[in-house]
Parts: sequence; C-alpha cells; structure tokens
Amino acid sequence: MNRTNRKIFAAVVVFVLAGAYLAYSGARSSMAYYLTVGELLDRAGAMRQADIRLSGTVSAGTIAHDPVAGTLAFRVTDGARALDVRYRGVVPDAFKDGAEVVVEGRFDGRTFTASRLFAKCPSKFETEDDG
Amino acid sequence: MSPGAMGEIGALAISMAFAVSAYGTIVPLLGVRLRRPEVVHSGLRAVYANALLLAVAAAALLYALLTRDFGNAYVAGYSSRDLGFWYTLSVFWAGQAGSLLFWAVVLAGFSALAVWRLGHLRELLPYAAATLMGTSTFFTMVLTFVSSPFARLPIARTDGAGLNPLLQNPGMFFHPPTQYLGYVGTAVPFAFAVAALATRNLDDRWIRATRRWTLLSWFFLSWGLIFGMMWAYVELGWGGFWAWDPVENAALMPWLTATAFLHSVMIQEKRDLLKVWNLVLIILTFALAVFGTFLTRSGVLSSVHAFATSSLGPLFFAFILLILGVSFGLLFTRLGALGSRGQLDSLISRESGFLFNNLIFVGAAFAVFIGTVFPILSEAVTGLKISVGPPFFNQINVPIGLALLLLMGVCPLLAWRKASPRSLLRAFVVPGALAAAGAVLLIAAGVRHPAALAAFGLGLFAAAAVVQDVHRGAKVRRGHGEPYALALGRLAGRNPRRYGGYVVHLGIVLLFAGMAGSALGTERDVVLAKGETVRAGRYTLRYDGGGSYAQGKRLITEAALTVFQGGRRLAEMRPQRNVHTRREEQVMTEVAIRTTLREDLYVILSGIGDDGRANLRVIINPLMMWMWIGAGVLTLGTVLAAWPQAVPAAQARARLVAEAA
Repeated sequence: MNRTNRKIFAAVVVFVLAGAYLAYSGARSSMAYYLTVGELLDRAGAMRQADIRLSGTVSAGTIAHDPVAGTLAFRVTDGARALDVRYRGVVPDAFKDGAEVVVEGRFDGRTFTASRLFAKCPSKFETEDDG
Repeated sequence: MSPGAMGEIGALAISMAFAVSAYGTIVPLLGVRLRRPEVVHSGLRAVYANALLLAVAAAALLYALLTRDFGNAYVAGYSSRDLGFWYTLSVFWAGQAGSLLFWAVVLAGFSALAVWRLGHLRELLPYAAATLMGTSTFFTMVLTFVSSPFARLPIARTDGAGLNPLLQNPGMFFHPPTQYLGYVGTAVPFAFAVAALATRNLDDRWIRATRRWTLLSWFFLSWGLIFGMMWAYVELGWGGFWAWDPVENAALMPWLTATAFLHSVMIQEKRDLLKVWNLVLIILTFALAVFGTFLTRSGVLSSVHAFATSSLGPLFFAFILLILGVSFGLLFTRLGALGSRGQLDSLISRESGFLFNNLIFVGAAFAVFIGTVFPILSEAVTGLKISVGPPFFNQINVPIGLALLLLMGVCPLLAWRKASPRSLLRAFVVPGALAAAGAVLLIAAGVRHPAALAAFGLGLFAAAAVVQDVHRGAKVRRGHGEPYALALGRLAGRNPRRYGGYVVHLGIVLLFAGMAGSALGTERDVVLAKGETVRAGRYTLRYDGGGSYAQGKRLITEAALTVFQGGRRLAEMRPQRNVHTRREEQVMTEVAIRTTLREDLYVILSGIGDDGRANLRVIINPLMMWMWIGAGVLTLGTVLAAWPQAVPAAQARARLVAEAA
C-alpha cells in the first residue's frame, strides 16, 4: 500500500468508526422492546421500567376520547388478550375501532401509558387475508 | 361487451405476459449460446409482446375501474360510485394487486423502450433483455397466481367499499406512481450491469448507455419522496413530513444508493476507478427498489406476524435473494477482470471527495436499513423484538446530512487528481467567510440549535462554492468577449451534466434549509373558549367559535380563527376535523396552513367540546416553503443534467487532441 492509499484508508477507517459510534449511541438512546399484547402481559414483571413499543389492534367500542382535554383511553388487543392504554395528545386520523396501532410508552402492570401513538392505515398494508 | 369478459381478457393478457416473459428470459440467452442470431432476435421480440400484453391488461383494469365494475373484487374493494374521476384512476395503484400490475406494466414499457433505444449494444442486449424479462416473469407470476387484479366476486356488489379518504389527496395521487417509476427505472441500468458482467464487457459502456435511465429513475425516486413528504405534511396532520416509518425508509434507501451511484460512475468514466463499487451500487439499488415494493406491499414490518401469513413475503424474499445471488455470483467470478487501471493520487482530490460522498450515502443507506430491520435482527439474535425509533435515525443522519453539505461545498473547489493546498485555500476564502458570517448573523438573531446552525452555515458554504465556480467559468469565457449571460449559457451547454448537477445541489441546499428550519419550529397545545386568543411566534390567533355540520357523507367540525400580527388582521384560518361516514367511520384532520417564504403557520384542530371550547395545536414551521422551492430547483437541475451536450466541432476536435496527448 503506498502512502496515499494508506492515508485514504486511515480516513475511511476514522469515518466508519465515527459512523458506528453514532449508530451505537443512537440505538442505545432509542431502543425499545417491540412487543405484542400477549408478549407484554407474559413479561409484565420484567418490563416495569422498560421503554416499550406495543403493537395490536384497537378493541371495537372501547375508545373514549375527550377532544377538549386531549385525553384518549382505549383497549388494545392481539385477538386473544387485551390491556388498557391511556394517551394524551393529537390522535392520528387512521386511529379507529379495529385499527392497527403502535403505542410507545411504559406499562405499570395494569395500564399502558403512551407518549406516542401511531395508527396504520389498513389499506396501505395488506396481507393475503384482507387483500 | 360484458364487464366480466373484459376482466377475462385482462387476466388472460397477464398470464400470456407471464409466458412471454419467461420466453424472453430464456430464449435470448439460448440464442447466444447456440450462436443463432434469429433465435436471439425472437427472444428480444418477446420484450415488445410483453409490453403489448401488459398494456392490454392495464387497459382492462382501467376499463373495470371507469365502468365501475363492482363484480371485480379489486374494484369493489377500493372504489365506489361517488368517487371522482381522478381518484377512481388512482385506485389503479391504491391496492396490492393493482400496484403490482402498475409495476409490471411500467417495467414492460421501460424494457421495450430500452431494447429499442439501446439496440446498438448488440453484445449486451440479449443479457439485459433476459434480466428485464426475468424480473417481469416474477411480477407477472405473482399477478397470475397470487394477487390478481381481475379476481371476480361470487356476487357483484352494488357499490364498492370506497377509497380510504386519507388517500384522496393530490400527494397520494402522484406519490405511488412516481415512486414506482423510480423503483422500476433502476431495473434498466441494473439489467445492463448484469449484461456487462455476463459478457465481460467491463468497460464503462453500460454506464454511459444507461446514464439517462439512471438520471430519470433518480429523478422519480426523488419526487416520490417529495410527494410523500408533501402528503404527510398536509394530509396526515401532525405537523411534520418525515417520521422514519419503515415505508418511508423503504423509499429512501434506493434513493441513497442511486445518488451514490450517480456520483461514483463519474469517477469510473473519468479515471477508470471504482468499477466493482459501481456494480455493487447498482445491484444494491435495484435490490432495494424491489425490497421497497415488498415492504410497502407486505406489511412485514407493520405487524409483527404478517411475514408468516402473507404469501407475498416469502416470494419477494426469494426473488431478492435470487437477484443478489445471481448478480453477486457473476460479480465474484469476474473480479479478476475488474481491475482498475487508474488509482487515487491524493487524499485531497476530487476523486477522494467523491469517494467520501459515496461512503456517506452508502453509510446512510446501511444505517437506515439496520434501523428498519432492527426488530427482525434482534429477534433472530435475542428472541425478543427490539426496535429503534426516530432518535436513532436522526442521530446518524443529521451528522451525515451535514457532512454531505460540507462535501457539496468542498468538491467543486477540489481539482482532479491532486489539489494544491494553496489554491484550495484561495478558493475557500469567499464561501468560508460567507458561511461564517451567516452563522454569526443567525446566532445574533437568536438561533441556538447547533445542528440547524451548522446546516445553514454549511448550506451557505456549498451554495457559495457552486456560485463561485460557475462565476469563474463564466468570467473566463467573458474574457474571450462573450457577454456574461451568454457565457453562462454556453458554459452550461458545454457541460450540462456538471452544471445541471450544480443546480441540483442548490436545490438540495434549499431542501436542507427547509429541514433545518423545521427543526427550529415551535408547537403549542391550547384549549380556547370563544373570543380567547393565543400567541404563537409573531402571530396572535383569536378563536371566533366553531361547530359541526353535516355535508353529504361527512360530518364537518370546524373552528374559525382570525390571525393577527402586530394588531393588524392578517387572515382567517379554518382547521377542520371531519368524520367520513361511509361503511365505517374515518376521521380526517384538515389542517389549516398559512404559508409564507419565512414560515408556515400550521393549525391542527383536535376537537371541539360540548361547551364550544376548541382544542388546538399551533405549530410554526420556519422555511418550509423552501423545501418545495428546492424540489423545483432540483427538477430544473435534473432536466439540465439530462440535456444533450452541445459540443461545437472545433472544441470536440480540440478535446480529442487533448485526450490523446
């Protein structure tokens, strides 16, 4: 390897290491367990203090939304089991009965307190069953 | 003709296209092997037959949509009687089967066009055609056996389920087809890369021949992202335009690798370097384009168990593996023939600038990929799904974006081969001073956000470097007695690719300015009773009351706001939160946006209570307009870059002599 190539190689290595460090610290600060309702309930004890991203569907007829206070409560289910979610903030349009949702927050064993709420619009994602 | 018969024609056309595609995959290669030109020729004609058949299928689906044939399961699933003409048209690509047909028909059209236009590449053509038809075989197979847009319902419905109102927005009309044109466009350079590998024609002919295709596909990928952001901004109603959603990431990744490819091919053309790298990039770009189609269509990441239940998942997965296996297999067996004649002469040169540009783009694509599939990876390793959120993506991509801005400014100042530090320093003076002055002014104006400050400073630097370089070129020409404007025009005409690229860079700087501006945004949630006011930035908003009323199948809830600035009445804003009541309820937030060049005032109505109080979110997004202006500038630059080069005969001769010397 000549001198120029060595210099370029060193620059590339520094560059890659910097990227890896950024990725590592970014991942550490935003990692969260990605669980279904059943998986969370099975591990409720161990997940007390953990950041959790929970996916499931909204149980029909359980939505209680107070638009003025900005509070929202609903039950999220994986089809077999369900748990209560509380949320405060802007509710996405795709959120409704039966919608696939992802909530981010913490679970105290009884209620899931969500700081962020995402709803997937069903027509965009389809599997064979509904397509 | 009965609607059913038309559907049968469509389904038949697709299955025939499947057969013809398979023919077009095998026969050209067979012809080459047997050294029988007429066999190759017959195989190439399959490309045209495939285009014709899929055009018939597309026409049949359009017919079913426009005649509102609700016996067709796809039409009944996504359309309805009250849907207007344009959105009825957009149903073509709103669902899975239709969008796969769209993919296939665009691929068929592009393939025919490429085989027609690039007919002079006699050696490459059979292999390129076979690659394109192999891809077509996959999509027509899925359309024939898994997901047909012509499936019939046992009993025709009287009305369809309707198109999700969220998709009834101009952004969503244009976004999917643009995105798909971009995805499919990558197939052409990919096919010629495979052909170059297969035939061991490993010079830069495949790159030069498909340069316009690469540019076109990059352009559509860019606008796919831009339309997607516009849609998210005005329609999704949360005040932002990008959320690092897997679907967004799926569109971003091939754009990143395609951008890297656009840059690195110049190094191969100029200096005969990075041959293997370019092949790797175009292979990855195409694989990521197919992966993107797959992600948006399979739901593999949206719901935890969809991968196992959707039969599309394993199929697409196998197809991507096939693409990677065949192309990297070819690449590996040709490594010996891919030695580069050139070599890098210095760390401080245009070449190494490009090299780092490429590392950055590929690094960004890699980071986005890891972040997107992190749940799948972590499940494989630890048995638990762990996902990473926007902070992960931002933490990596903000520094990457800043580094790109820096490189965008530095590269035009760098000489090929080896830049002398002194001339470099001289070239740095003006852009560097401007950047520093801009940053100081912003700090004095109260901007404290470090990343945004860096973005504005580096953006200024990059823009000034480009302007300085163009100005120098024009000055030299003016020295020969040309008026300045003419000198500029001739300069760009002589090397449209370079100056088009510069214009694209200016567009990107504006896009970054818009993004950095949105990082400086403020938002505030308020509950207002009638007559109450709230301050937001320079504005005062007064809530004048609101309520709900029915309009057709919609229940409209609207708040009336008057916006004041410095005591002066500026505008009225009416954010809405509507409920569409078709078969099932769908909430539609209609945000109110007041756009100026300086900032967007963006108001979301969360709801109005029984006591008449309104819950509002008021957001100030500085410089948003510049994102869309940047998109326009990017378009101009791309058109310029694709413009045929004007080479006066005398200059062409001079260049030949210079190159020979």
